[in-house]
Amino acid sequence: MPYDWNFSIVLQYMPQLLWGGLHTVLLSAACIALAVPIGVVLGVIRHQRVRFLAPIAVVYIDFFRTSVALVLICWCYYALPILLGVNLSTFTAVTIAIGLQASAYLAELVRAGLGSISTGQWEAARALGMPGTMRLRYIILPQAARRMIPVFFLLVVEVVKTTTLAGIVTYPEIVYEAFRVSTEVYRPVETFTIAGLICFAFLFVTGRIAMRLERRYAAVER
Amino acid sequence: MAYEWDFAFLWVLWPHLLVGLAGTAKLWAVALICGLGIGLVVGIFRTAPSRILRSIGTVYVEAIRNTPGLIQLIWFYYAIPMVTGWQASAWLAAVVSLSIYTGAYSAEIYRAGIASIERGQWEAARAIGFGFGAQMRYIVLPQALMRMIPAFGNRAIELAKATTLASTIAFGELLYTAKVIAEDQMRPLETYTAVTVIFTVILLPVSYGCVWFERRLARRGGVHRD
Repeated sequence: MPYDWNFSIVLQYMPQLLWGGLHTVLLSAACIALAVPIGVVLGVIRHQRVRFLAPIAVVYIDFFRTSVALVLICWCYYALPILLGVNLSTFTAVTIAIGLQASAYLAELVRAGLGSISTGQWEAARALGMPGTMRLRYIILPQAARRMIPVFFLLVVEVVKTTTLAGIVTYPEIVYEAFRVSTEVYRPVETFTIAGLICFAFLFVTGRIAMRLERRYAAVER
Repeated sequence: MAYEWDFAFLWVLWPHLLVGLAGTAKLWAVALICGLGIGLVVGIFRTAPSRILRSIGTVYVEAIRNTPGLIQLIWFYYAIPMVTGWQASAWLAAVVSLSIYTGAYSAEIYRAGIASIERGQWEAARAIGFGFGAQMRYIVLPQALMRMIPAFGNRAIELAKATTLASTIAFGELLYTAKVIAEDQMRPLETYTAVTVIFTVILLPVSYGCVWFERRLARRGGVHRD
């Protein structure tokens, strides 16, 4: 039998889905906010081969890059509270899991970005008598950041996609809300089609921004 | 109070985890083979002379890469029975969804690999009378495939991670098995720690292997041995 699609009934629940979408964005923002400082510090440590700290950074980065986001989320949600003896909200648990994993990816991005700056820049800064942190802060990082920003946006896309897993541990983001809507109207395919379209619209635009930035920064450097 | 770790129950229940791991491996292998096949076709579409084929490829890749895998999986879980009239099966939904997901990403790998082959190779093949299909089959792909291997390795790792999504539709892979054990034994800490360790122990060597192979390729200057 041909299925008769009915989007109109699902569209009535659009505000609820968009509300879930807003939570997705909030959660992603929190994950990024946690990932950026850790990622930058680890990336610098890796690039500068800081003694004692660099091997620790390698272990951290390799562990999080090869671990599975959903497993980390389950671990932080079910296991971490037992270990710490405190209650964690789903928001906190998921932010820790995805934020830490994203920081590992970001660290590799920062390391590659710093590595792409020619040694001449370091030498010139040293010739001006700048100390190490100042060289990094005023000469190297601003140039490296410019090259990292397009890839950073792609990382943001990945983080947003990963936060949809938070619904599994009952955080009310878009997939969770879509489940609630679909049980209410009994139209799962239409509901998840619309949820997918909302995600697509958001992520596609983010991806385009990344492409545009990449082209613009590439033009500046030429 | 300090938590008392106790892995003893896992020592008894490890056959269950092993069955879960086998489920993960089966899903991974089937989805990888199907995904690489889909990716090859779409990747060629993306580099084909026909504009229609190129657009079909682009729409597919953009649609899949810009939506979360979880939404795709759930969508297929509900949509497949609707289209085919079969009963909803977690295995089928997981295989279809993960194959299509991997197909989109590997299509980009094929496309980049194909694009990395110099124009001259195509032109030389055309000069000796090869059509598009023959140029691709005999000249370009054999050279490009070698360069793609590290990227495929990374894709395989990502797919292994993505198989855990199937736990949400109750397919018996490793994470789902762990969830059942954790609830049954009321020991989530040990169980999820064990799953984390299992994944890391398996995926880390593969990841290092990819890096090693990539370095080796770079040292040899790609695959120019002629």
